[in-house]
Amino acid sequence: MRLFSLFLLSTLLLAVEIFAYPNYSDAIKEKKIYPLGKNIYEKRCSSIKPSNYNTFSALEDAIKNDAHCKKLQTKYQEALALYLWEKVRITKKDKKYPEIVVTHKDKCPVCGMFLYKYPRWVSMIEYSNGKKLYFDGLKDLFKYYFEDPKDIKGLFTRDYYTQETIALKDAYFVLGSDVYGPMGNELIAFKDKKSAQNFFFDHRGKKIVNFKEITKSMVYKLDE
Amino acid sequence: MSNINFYLLEYAKNYILRHKNKNIFIVIVFTLLVALLCTLFFVSTTVEYEMESRLENQPDIVVQNYKAGRLSTIKSGMVDKLLEIDGVSWATQRVYGKYRFSKEGASLNLVGVDPFEEQENPFIAKLLEKNQLNENDIFVSQHVKELMHKAYYDDYFNFIKPDGKLLRLNIAKSFDVGDRKYLEDLVLVNKDKLREIFGYKADEGSDIALGVANKNELAFIRTKIALMLPNAKVTSKDDLKVAYKNLFNYDSGVFLSVFIVAIFTFFIIIYDKANGLSSEEKREIGILKAVGWRVEDVLHAKFYEAFIISFFSFFVGFLLAFIYVFVLKAPYIGDIFMHDQLFDIKNFNLNVHLEFSYILLIFLLSVPVYIAATLIPSWRVATLDADEVMR
Amino acid sequence: MIRLENVSKIYDENIKALQDINLTFKEGELIVLKGVSGSGKSTILSLIAGLSKPTRGEVIVDGKKISKLPDHFASSYRRDNIGIVFQRYNLIPTLSVTENVLLPLFPLNLPRDEMNLKAQKVLKQFSIDHKAGVIVKNLSGGEQQRVAIARANINNPKIILADEPTANLDEKLSLEFIEILAEMKSHNRTIVVATHDPLFFDLDIVDRMITIEHGKML
Repeated sequence: MRLFSLFLLSTLLLAVEIFAYPNYSDAIKEKKIYPLGKNIYEKRCSSIKPSNYNTFSALEDAIKNDAHCKKLQTKYQEALALYLWEKVRITKKDKKYPEIVVTHKDKCPVCGMFLYKYPRWVSMIEYSNGKKLYFDGLKDLFKYYFEDPKDIKGLFTRDYYTQETIALKDAYFVLGSDVYGPMGNELIAFKDKKSAQNFFFDHRGKKIVNFKEITKSMVYKLDE
Repeated sequence: MSNINFYLLEYAKNYILRHKNKNIFIVIVFTLLVALLCTLFFVSTTVEYEMESRLENQPDIVVQNYKAGRLSTIKSGMVDKLLEIDGVSWATQRVYGKYRFSKEGASLNLVGVDPFEEQENPFIAKLLEKNQLNENDIFVSQHVKELMHKAYYDDYFNFIKPDGKLLRLNIAKSFDVGDRKYLEDLVLVNKDKLREIFGYKADEGSDIALGVANKNELAFIRTKIALMLPNAKVTSKDDLKVAYKNLFNYDSGVFLSVFIVAIFTFFIIIYDKANGLSSEEKREIGILKAVGWRVEDVLHAKFYEAFIISFFSFFVGFLLAFIYVFVLKAPYIGDIFMHDQLFDIKNFNLNVHLEFSYILLIFLLSVPVYIAATLIPSWRVATLDADEVMR
Repeated sequence: MIRLENVSKIYDENIKALQDINLTFKEGELIVLKGVSGSGKSTILSLIAGLSKPTRGEVIVDGKKISKLPDHFASSYRRDNIGIVFQRYNLIPTLSVTENVLLPLFPLNLPRDEMNLKAQKVLKQFSIDHKAGVIVKNLSGGEQQRVAIARANINNPKIILADEPTANLDEKLSLEFIEILAEMKSHNRTIVVATHDPLFFDLDIVDRMITIEHGKML
């Protein structure tokens, strides 16, 4: 009996602990909570170091007791806590690549078009010798890449929805959608599978692939 | 074209003064026509430019809630729903509105500010960079400060809430709006306090503004939101651009008709001039031929004459238009482009923004045409046998 | 040096201004063309000046067929060789004496001192230099006459043509004009005067008098 009530108690505690942890979707966290938390951290409570705390509730308590932060409304404290706990503490895989920038003179080596006109579509191959080539879409980039896949340091493009720079090897691609690039049918790139799937449904895509699955014939088929 | 022949220039000047009355009339008409055309061009291009720059600062999409067909408040929960849409990079519930400051008959433009949210309006963002807006403070523009001062409010202001109670807020800072006259009634208030002033509930707001990272998706997302929220009015920046453009095109149509009338009048004058010279003028050309001037010399002098008149008129007309539009702010004619809801031209700062191609167009339509109208009949007369002068 | 060979001038509605004129003038001669208004004497002057072209025949001056010259060259020829004194002077009233006198030379765009020198010379020659800067409309009739004559002489022309020069003048001014004619003749200019003023009919300085009536020589 005792064991049972202990079990019950611990699950209850666990449950309380779990439910006490704010539950937001990734989208809301990325787009609203983290930026909010960041602002609060920079403007008010820079003194809190998340690495000093082992649990989320310990961090929360620290915030509630801090001289600067205690006067904040609950929603702000929560945002701050989430930001510190999930973003600052775990400097995880969030690799930020630099923005892809072209000058007024740059042209796509495959089709010859001026790149500055299509900032949302510009993609890049970086070679080991530091040379960078820019293209007006992934189709042209892959055409060039398959002709000469040597000495590559990295392949980059913009995530369709957020326009951040992403590495192609980690990305997901949708083919056959109703969204056309400057060269017509395109591979549309996404940083994660979920947004690729959402796009796939919204824009009547025909296929989702990752980097390894892309073949030369697949790319040329887009031109048909 | 050889060097300027100052003798011929002097002759031309003298010729103009000899026919003073006729030339004064021509100069006046020419100047007025150029002034009218320039005014219209200045106003319309400046308005267009102003419109575009104002649009730049607008959010990509604005979502408003309608109840019973009337504009109503929107709940903050909507923000989270909208953030779930891929492609939306940010979304905030905005609180803003007008507050009647009845003592002065003025209307204050109250804008709610959250201390930690990203401020999307660049002007406000800049203001808040340097100064934190505390919960009980308000920031006011210079103009509003003066208004409040007149009502004996200097350190604080009492807002009257819908329930009749007062809400006192401190006038913490005043700011200069520079030449952005449409911001002169601006007051920045803490968002939650503003809700109190308007009688909004804690989760109510005026609308939701959102940003879309990839403009390619703008139209699609706009439609998606409209489908998601049947009661909402979803306006994208593109919609605004189209609406402004349509209005602007209508106004331009009005302007165009005035333009056509002006050009028509001008060409009547030209036609009259080109159709011949008076016998006195013919005689003078005959004398010049008789003393040994060649046809090209006669035309050279006539060119100076026409150039002086047309260029002078053009320049004065341009100057008049410039002063009328940019210094006096175009009373009466500017009203063509005024729309109560969208712009009030007096609030526009008609910043000096000249489109060179328009000025060139007006120049080319007037000066060379006038010069040609002067030269052609002179050329005709000068090539005839000038034996009449002997009589 | 001036020759009119079989010259006829017919205007549009078959108005025969001149018919079969044959004339020869020697250099330095003073010729009077006598005839009433409309007789055609003014037409002869304008033909010699190159201001109009004959319908038939040739006008030859100094060996040159000026009747064949295109307008550009006819005007240059006129500027360099002809000086015309008009019946009504045809001065520009709002310009000064100097400016009026230099009028034929304006297109040449010569340097100012050169122009002024030429003006000075000719103004002095006709005794009007003391009024060099005066605006012409403020001059008396006689002074204006001298300005007109000075202008005709500015470019040292070989030929002076005068059309009814004394028609609007009183006797005193007419005699003054004849004196000036004599002065010009002494510089070996060829002078042709078209007039029906009897003052000219018995002058020593007149070398020849030719009567023109209804476009024909008598």
